[in-house]
Amino acid sequence: MSNNTVHNENEKLLKIFAGIRCLNRDQLPRYLQGRLTDIEKHLVEQHLVDCDLCFEALQALQQEGQLEQYQGLSANIQQYIRESIKPVSQLQKMERYVRKTKQRESMLIYFWLVAFIVGGGAILYLMQQYNYHKPVVARPVIPVLPAASVAAAPLPPPADSTSTAKPAPLAAAATPPVIPVVKKDTVKAAPPPAKKLTPADSAKKAPPPKTVKDTVKRAPDSNAMAKPAPARNDTPAATVAHNNTPKKEEKKEESSKPAASSSTAMDTDEFLYKAAMVYQQQGDLNEAINRYKRLSSSGNPRIGEMARYQMGVCYRNKGQNGKARRIFKEVVRMDGNMKQAAQQALDNL
Amino acid sequence: MDSYVNIDNNTMYQQLSNLSDKELISRARKLKDREAEGILLERYSHLLVAVCLPSIKNNPGAAMNTVFPSILQRLSNGLKTQTIQKANEWVHQTVNAYITNPDKQVPYYPSRESRDRLHTENRVEKAATNTIEKQALIAQVERALASLKAEDRYLIEQFYLENKTFADLAAHKGYTTEKVRTLLKKAKSKLAMQLTN
Repeated sequence: MSNNTVHNENEKLLKIFAGIRCLNRDQLPRYLQGRLTDIEKHLVEQHLVDCDLCFEALQALQQEGQLEQYQGLSANIQQYIRESIKPVSQLQKMERYVRKTKQRESMLIYFWLVAFIVGGGAILYLMQQYNYHKPVVARPVIPVLPAASVAAAPLPPPADSTSTAKPAPLAAAATPPVIPVVKKDTVKAAPPPAKKLTPADSAKKAPPPKTVKDTVKRAPDSNAMAKPAPARNDTPAATVAHNNTPKKEEKKEESSKPAASSSTAMDTDEFLYKAAMVYQQQGDLNEAINRYKRLSSSGNPRIGEMARYQMGVCYRNKGQNGKARRIFKEVVRMDGNMKQAAQQALDNL
Repeated sequence: MDSYVNIDNNTMYQQLSNLSDKELISRARKLKDREAEGILLERYSHLLVAVCLPSIKNNPGAAMNTVFPSILQRLSNGLKTQTIQKANEWVHQTVNAYITNPDKQVPYYPSRESRDRLHTENRVEKAATNTIEKQALIAQVERALASLKAEDRYLIEQFYLENKTFADLAAHKGYTTEKVRTLLKKAKSKLAMQLTN
């Protein structure tokens, strides 16, 4: 029994540090008026030892007339807090709910928007890729084949092959009906230099001479090839080469004599001529004719003659036979390398 | 639907009212629960009014319009930014700071005595369910009590163990009740300091 009391006594020691809540709205005046039970009063006083807020509040209320004021003001402030905070919290809840639903909706909208944009972009990209690749697939046929291989490759016999059969043994200059074939070959032969060298690029004269020489050197081979397949020989390069072969030595002498400047001018003309041929191959006859016109008035008589001849071909292809005839006559009158070809073209017109 | 919401609100209000200060503070801070904040402020509003009374007795109408809203606003701001261990001390300090200088914002910082007391209170609370720890703590308190001055020990023993009131002790010692309270507070602080160290 004594042990128990000692134990209880000891346990009471912990009461010193028991956390007790502040006085509530009713306790405050009741404590002042002495209307608390002994236990309640003891608890309040235990709390008052620690709490300055409650102690100061009690001291303030002990003054006369403060209690009435306190009652009114405390009711007011309670009302104020309820009014200012609770509606806000209700509004906040509503806002939060509305915001959540809106967010969900807007997320959906954004998702579809992004999906459409991405889809549209992908379709556009694919279309572009398709458009870009389409001509690329078609294009390589022309530039990929080198001039020599084209010259060597057997070409499908043109519609006019019967007419070409007659001059075949001669293996001479190209016959007019073969010109369509010529055209194809020249395109295939021309593009590489033409692509590298547009008229504007004519300043870059270093690489072209090599290719020119190549064509010149290749000429005898193609000439040799011409015998078994005369139709193939009708490429301008071949004709030029063929026509040039007898005079090859003279030409070499000529080219060695003039100064470097004149040779470069000739090269430029040749490349302008080839560029014009590219336009002719691509079907831009008007542009080709313009370029040939410019070339025909240039200083190089050989190029001028060839340009005129091609101009005639262009006009004939355009269906302007009168103009073509006039130009072929001019070529015949010039009495140059192309005389025979022009004459034949005139005969066929 | 409205009645459902009201019932829901009332039960929510009651549930929140039963929460401790600590829980309300954490709800207001972490969940940004304005309702919890309102209940906490409401819990201390009457004390706030009483403490302010001496300074606003000349113009209570203006106080209702200016002083209380600004103090409540300050408390609301403090709730979001400050670490509050004891709500009553925080309210007391904020109100006193406002009454002394309404334009100056003084952050709440608990005193050392308050921290020691809080620490000991937490230890007692934890030991409540653990007998061994409780016995150890009781022994510690006994030792600390024995080391106090005779007057302090007498006051504490009479007040806490014999359940004497302030008035009884004041009459017995010939002090005022305020002095008895102050002496008890100091004695308790000493005890808490010894227990903490």
